[in-house]
Amino acid sequence: MTTISIDRVSRWFGNVVAVNDVSMTIAPGVTGLLGPNGAGKSTLIHMMSGFLPPSSGTVTIDGVQVWKNQQAYRQIGLVPEREAMYDFLTGHEFVLANAELHGLPDPGAAAQRALATVEMEYAQDRKVTTYSKGMKQRVKMASALVHDPAVLLLDEPFNGMDPRQRMHLMELLRRFGADGRTVLFSSHILEEVEQLARHIEVVVAGRHAASGDFRKIRRLMTDRPHRYLVRSSDDRALAAALIADPSTAGIELDWTEKALRIQAIDFYRFTELVPRVAKEAGIRLLTVSPADESLESVFSYLVTSA
Amino acid sequence: MSVITTDNLTKRFPRVTALDRLTVDVQPGVVGLVGANGAGKSTLIKILLGLAPATEGTARVLGLDVATEGGAIRERVGYMPEHDCLPPDVSATEFVVHMARMSGLPAAAARERTADTLRHVGLYEERYRPIGGYSTGMKQRVKLAQALVHDPQLVLLDEPTNGLDPVGRDDMLGLIRRVHTDFGISVLVTSHLLGELERTCDHVVVIDGGKLLRSSSTADFTQVTQFLAVEVTDKQSDPGFDADTALRDRLTGDGLTTVPDGSRVLLVELKGDETYDLVRDAVADLGLGLVRMEQRRHHISEVFSTRDDDTPADLTKEASAHV
Amino acid sequence: MSDSLQTSPQVPQPSQPPLEPRADVIHDIGYRHYDGARLGRSYATRSLFLLSLRGSFGLGRSIKSKILPMALLAVISLPALIIVAVAVYTKMGKLPLEYPHYLSIMQFVIAVFVAAQSPVALSRDLRFMTLPLYFSRPLTSRDYVRAKFAAMFSAMFILTALPILIMWVGSLLASMSFGYNLEHFAYGLVAAALYALLYSGIGLVIASLTPRRGFGVAAIIALFLISEAVSGIIYGVLTVKGHDHAAHWAIMINPGSLVDSTVTWLFNLRRQGLAGVPSTLGGYLFIAEIVLLAAATYGLLVRRYRKI
Repeated sequence: MTTISIDRVSRWFGNVVAVNDVSMTIAPGVTGLLGPNGAGKSTLIHMMSGFLPPSSGTVTIDGVQVWKNQQAYRQIGLVPEREAMYDFLTGHEFVLANAELHGLPDPGAAAQRALATVEMEYAQDRKVTTYSKGMKQRVKMASALVHDPAVLLLDEPFNGMDPRQRMHLMELLRRFGADGRTVLFSSHILEEVEQLARHIEVVVAGRHAASGDFRKIRRLMTDRPHRYLVRSSDDRALAAALIADPSTAGIELDWTEKALRIQAIDFYRFTELVPRVAKEAGIRLLTVSPADESLESVFSYLVTSA
Repeated sequence: MSVITTDNLTKRFPRVTALDRLTVDVQPGVVGLVGANGAGKSTLIKILLGLAPATEGTARVLGLDVATEGGAIRERVGYMPEHDCLPPDVSATEFVVHMARMSGLPAAAARERTADTLRHVGLYEERYRPIGGYSTGMKQRVKLAQALVHDPQLVLLDEPTNGLDPVGRDDMLGLIRRVHTDFGISVLVTSHLLGELERTCDHVVVIDGGKLLRSSSTADFTQVTQFLAVEVTDKQSDPGFDADTALRDRLTGDGLTTVPDGSRVLLVELKGDETYDLVRDAVADLGLGLVRMEQRRHHISEVFSTRDDDTPADLTKEASAHV
Repeated sequence: MSDSLQTSPQVPQPSQPPLEPRADVIHDIGYRHYDGARLGRSYATRSLFLLSLRGSFGLGRSIKSKILPMALLAVISLPALIIVAVAVYTKMGKLPLEYPHYLSIMQFVIAVFVAAQSPVALSRDLRFMTLPLYFSRPLTSRDYVRAKFAAMFSAMFILTALPILIMWVGSLLASMSFGYNLEHFAYGLVAAALYALLYSGIGLVIASLTPRRGFGVAAIIALFLISEAVSGIIYGVLTVKGHDHAAHWAIMINPGSLVDSTVTWLFNLRRQGLAGVPSTLGGYLFIAEIVLLAAATYGLLVRRYRKI
């Protein structure tokens, strides 16, 4: 079980601040690193993997500094975004070369094991040029896994993959997470983050914007009314009963959806109110659905409030 | 009338079969195309535009045969490619006017329609500035505008949300809906993101390894299941109280079948309308907050995961690397 | 869509519709369908031709892209203007040089123009990947090549014919023999057309191979320089060794001298500079080479764009 800690880390390139005073802890399991394009995700990942020193602050792995630390590098596997691979090599040769670079005692066996983990043995003797996007991604992953690291860092791993390749990779990452590895992947596609990681770290414009389960993050935003969609056996009666309570700010009858659209300003009071009021009035609740608890709305709140 | 029909459409390359006896019938509306990666997708688009011959089978677009009436098809169809295709040193207006003329519109009509189309896709003052300075979202709009400027009956949109951030993505998806609802133009849109297609499309065609996996309406793909997803808050007055277990015990006591769904969501089997009331009363009696209670839906992604053969899909997907 | 809960406002209907001729109205500025003319392939090809031709001189583009082509137009015309001015002033009875020969002296300017502007015609569409947008329209790849070739040819012809025209106008102003000058002006135009044909064909084929404008420019200029140099060396060596007639075969590898020699021989003009053919058969071979080169470059272009 390995944990990466980032403590008050900033990274600037000349006058451009890519990462600005970020502190976070990446624990075992799968974590999604989320942010718009150019938010500093890649820079963060590069600092975690020891490719780049922080301009200030520290990045540690189980308490040991990562930068210029051979011991730390052995525990980290990085799957970079770019595809600069050696196209003239076969998948096996590529992974083997990485195993040799790591100075492993039995590079052949290590390469074989890594290729088996990503289920690429069947194509390992083909040239990398003949691989599809998903296959290249898996070979990159095999070379990142060749020294059996406890930490796997992936930079935009799902870019350009089709749904089946996506699902395959997600399964693989879930398995690594379940095995107790520390897996961190970056993305700006919310759909894939939502499917894979419950724990997210959000960076916006180089700043650490939020951390945790996105639904809980949403509930922490007390300055934003929660929007609810409610269907019941008697929408008007329910609306009348709900608007009387100060936890609601506005209720709208949506004719096309045949539902109530409710703005709640006190989340906990409102969620307790709904079943109670409905029960007292004998109204059957059919749907109670938070309309802005998706990662999408959480994210756009975080980005626009930044 | 069908917008696109294919019958046993097959395209074989020396090392790979990009399309394998594909038979689909696409009706007017917004139609999603998913799973056709690399070779399959670009080949299908080329065949539909009458730019490449099929190895076997036939296809018709707007009732026209792709093998013999390619020119007529291309006059009535708009195409927005996945990749960048805009010169950075001309303005959106200049570029779209030029493309309108390439579609056969007289100079005056090309100018007027360009002005209107750019407005409809949401480009205003920027339109006179060189495209090089545009954001990704604005560039995508220009690409969409050049596909719409000649008022096609069908547009083929290849990964229109690619590279956009969540807000830009939402805007683009809304625009795509409008292309059909407000402009009356049918849309074939490709995407890797199934959730995006569920939100936007009337109908979805799923291709896997060049073969048709399923083609049905989005409503069919996302039918409700017989499970209610229920989530409650902790008790504000008593933080130590295990709300989830209490609710589960109570509902089981009421004779309902419940399955925890990983996180805090409890799936309750829907046995009849009374189930709704039992859940409502349980939550109210326990003094908990009801975060959600909604019928679970199926998702398009299930068509990929429920297939029995579990061989790595890349065996059939190597296509993209070869062509 | 949805209305507020507290009030469900009904839009009040006026009891009597107003009957004034100028009723209040909201115009629909939503999406309009287009049911006007669609002029099809040949119109699109013509539009592309015109746009490309204008583009060759930087018209409709930035000031920066106008500088070079306009400067070259000036450079190629200026000596002609000076010749004319001198001829008129000194009341010459005859222009000091043949119309076609003027172009052979200006070969370098022609080569620079084709090197600079053929990449402009083709590389942009390759580099910015605009081609799929063209070919998803009624226009075919053949139409595209036709329009681009015609545009480049026309641009080159404007460049080469302009000084010839100036010289002819000058001959009229200087009251030289009208018949002689009309005839030789026509020879000049033939030479101009042949230069335009050969140079644009060669330039476009090279430009179509690279999306990088710089490479295209360098490759084209290099080709013309090298072919001229090699042809010059062979010519020189053979002449020194006394094979004066055979030396003219060397001209076959230099497109500029090829046109000059062919025109000089064909119209039986005064020989100036290298111009000349090895033999009558050689003359026919030179003509054949010009025809073949033009056809081959066009064919290569069509082939290059067939698979897009």
